[in-house]
Amino acid sequence: MRHHILTKLLLAGTVLAMGAGSVLADANLVFRFNDSERDEMRAALDEFEAANPGIKVELQTIAWNDARDQFLRESAVGQGPDVVHIAFVWTQEMAEAEAIMPLDELTKYGELPNGFDDFIATDLTMYEGKAYGLPWTADTWAMVYRTDVLADAGIDDLPTTWADLRKDSEIIKEKTGKTGFSFPAANQVWFPANYYLWSNGGSFIEADGNGGYKVGATREQIADDMNYFKGYIDDGLAPRSILSIDEPQDPALMQGLLDGSQAMALMPTNTYRQLLGAYEQAHPDEKIPFNSGIMMAGSQAPQTHLGGRTLAVNANTEHPEEAWKLVQFLSSAPIFEKYYTNQFPAQKSLLSKIEYRPEELGFAKEPGRSHPHLGCLCR
Amino acid sequence: MTLSPKMRTRMTVFWMLLPTFLILIGFYLFPTLYNLELSFSDITLLKLKKGGDFVGTTNYTEFLTSSSFRDIAINTVFWLTAISVSVRIVLGLLFALLLNSKFLKSMRLTTIARLMLLVPWATPPVVAVIAWRWLFDPTYGPINSWLISSGLISDPIAFTANLATVWPAIITIIVWNTTPLIGVSLLAALQTIPEDLNEAAAIDGANRWQQFRFITLPYLMPTISVLTLMSVIWTFNNFVYVWLTTGAGPGTFTNVLATEVYMKAFIDLRIGYSAAIGVSMAVVMAFFGAMYFRYFGLTEMQDKVG
Repeated sequence: MRHHILTKLLLAGTVLAMGAGSVLADANLVFRFNDSERDEMRAALDEFEAANPGIKVELQTIAWNDARDQFLRESAVGQGPDVVHIAFVWTQEMAEAEAIMPLDELTKYGELPNGFDDFIATDLTMYEGKAYGLPWTADTWAMVYRTDVLADAGIDDLPTTWADLRKDSEIIKEKTGKTGFSFPAANQVWFPANYYLWSNGGSFIEADGNGGYKVGATREQIADDMNYFKGYIDDGLAPRSILSIDEPQDPALMQGLLDGSQAMALMPTNTYRQLLGAYEQAHPDEKIPFNSGIMMAGSQAPQTHLGGRTLAVNANTEHPEEAWKLVQFLSSAPIFEKYYTNQFPAQKSLLSKIEYRPEELGFAKEPGRSHPHLGCLCR
Repeated sequence: MTLSPKMRTRMTVFWMLLPTFLILIGFYLFPTLYNLELSFSDITLLKLKKGGDFVGTTNYTEFLTSSSFRDIAINTVFWLTAISVSVRIVLGLLFALLLNSKFLKSMRLTTIARLMLLVPWATPPVVAVIAWRWLFDPTYGPINSWLISSGLISDPIAFTANLATVWPAIITIIVWNTTPLIGVSLLAALQTIPEDLNEAAAIDGANRWQQFRFITLPYLMPTISVLTLMSVIWTFNNFVYVWLTTGAGPGTFTNVLATEVYMKAFIDLRIGYSAAIGVSMAVVMAFFGAMYFRYFGLTEMQDKVG
C-alpha cells in the first residue's frame, strides 16, 4: 500500500513538474510590425521559432498612422504587443508614458553583440539618462532620376540645386513633353518643403533656448518655399493631380517613373528599392535606367533628415527575456540580408557591410540633418 | 409587511426597469461623467498611467478662443451639417415622391427602383468613401476620365484636394450614402396619406402643387421634422466621411469638430482638451434639440395635421 502511494505521489509530482516546466518554457509573443514586408517578416519569424522551440511569435500589423496612439492606449491599460515597431522619434514619448522597458532591464538577459554604441541615432532612444529602444532601421530621402528621360532631353549632368531642378524640369517638358520633377503635394509635401527651407537657411521650428520651440523661418522664407513647389503645378511642369497625392509610394508617382513619363522624384530608401524591384520584374533583362543623388542645395548645402525605426519591448510584457531574444534576432545581420532587404540597418557594423548598387549611391551619400554627427549612411 | 396592490405594481415596474437603468448608467452615464472629468484635466496620452491634473475650464477657454475655432465651427455647422442635411431632405423627398408616383407604378418599376435606392444605404460608409475616392481620383478615376474624354476639361481635377471642389465632393459622398434612409422613411409616411383627401381636393379644383403644399407636405412634416433632427445630430457628430475622404485637409481646410476631437486626442495626444471639445459638441446638440422641439415640435406638427 505504501509502495502504491509513493508511486502515485512520484507520478503526480512528475506530471506537475512537467506541466510547470512547459509553462516556463513556452512563451507566446506578439510582434507588431507595421511595414509592408509582412510575408518576409513572417518567414524571418518562422526561422526564429525554429531556433527557439519554446517561443511562438504572432505577427501583428496595423497602419503606421494609428500605430503610435494605439500602442499608447493599450499600454496604459496593461495591454499591447510584447515587441513593438515604432518610429525613432516616438521612442522618448513612449518612455515618458512608461509604455516601454528601459534597455538596462533587458540587457541582463543577453548583451548586444557589438554593444549599444554600434547603433546610430541612440540619442533618440534616451529618456532621463536611460536608453529605451533599439534603433532598428535607418532611412532618409534622396533624389531619384530616370536616366534615359534625362538623356532624351539632352541633360548630361544631374541637377544639384533647386534652381537647376526647376530648369531641368522645364527643359524636359519642352523637349520630351514629359514631366520633369514631380512630388507628393498633399500631406508629405512636408518632406521636400523642409529640405528646401533647411537648404536655404530656414527651419519651420527651432529650439528657443528655454526648453521650448519657436518658428525658425521668416514669412518670406516660408512663402518662397511654398511658391517654389506650387510653381511646378501652376506652370504645368507637374500634373495638378499631385495635389491629392499623399506619399511618394503612391501608384501614380511610381507608375510615372516606371513607364518613363516622369524623370525626377524624391523618396525614401525602401520606396526606391521597391521601385527598382518593380522595374526589374517588368524588364528582367534590361539595364536599369535609374540613378540616385543627394538632395538639392539652396543658398546653403543640401540637407535631408535621418529617420528610422526602433524596436521596443512593451513594459507590460510577461515575457521580457523572450521578447529581448526576439529583438536581438531581429537586429541581426541575416534579417537585413535575407528578409528585410528594402531597409538599411541602424547599426554601423551592418551598414559597413552593405554592398550598395551603383544606382543606390545617392542614398548612401545622403547627409543626415537631424544627426549631423552621423555624417551619412555611407561606409 | 404587506404592500398595497399599487405599491406592488410599482415595485414590479421598478425591478423590471432596473437592469435597463444599470445598463444606461454603466454604458452611458459613467462614460459621459468620465469624459466631463477628463475635460477639466490636462491629461494626455503620455500621462494615462500617471493621470492628469485639474485645470478648471482652461481647455474650454483655449478651444473657444483658438484661432481655428471659427473655421472649424463654420465647416461643421454650414458645410457638413446645414448643406448636407438640406440636400438630403430635399433629395429624399423627391425620391419618395417619385417612388410613390403613378408613373413608376404604371411602368412596373416601383420594386426595382426601391431596391436601387436601398443599395447606397446598405453600403458601409467606409466602403462608400473608398469607392468615391476612387471615382474622384485624378489619375485613374472614371469621373475625370469621362470629363476629359468628353472635352469638358483638359487637366484632371483633384476633387478631394482642390479647395473649390473638396466640400462638394465630401457632401456628394454623404448624400449618396445617406439619402436613401430619408427617402424610404418619407415614402412610408407618404403611403399613410389617405388617397381620398387628394381626390376631394382635386374635385374642389386644387392643382397638383396645391395638393402637395396643403395636403402632402403637412402630413409629411412630423416625419421630416424627426428625420431632420436625427440627421443634424448624426451629421454634426460625424467623423467618418471627412476623415476618410480628406483627413481634414487639404491642410485643415475641411477640419470639423469631430476630426478636431480625433486630431487633438490622437495626434497631439491631448485627451483632456479633446474631451472638452466633445463635451462642447454634446452641449450644442442638446441645446439644438431642445430648441428644435420647442419651435418645430412633434405635437405642433400633429396638431397641424389634425
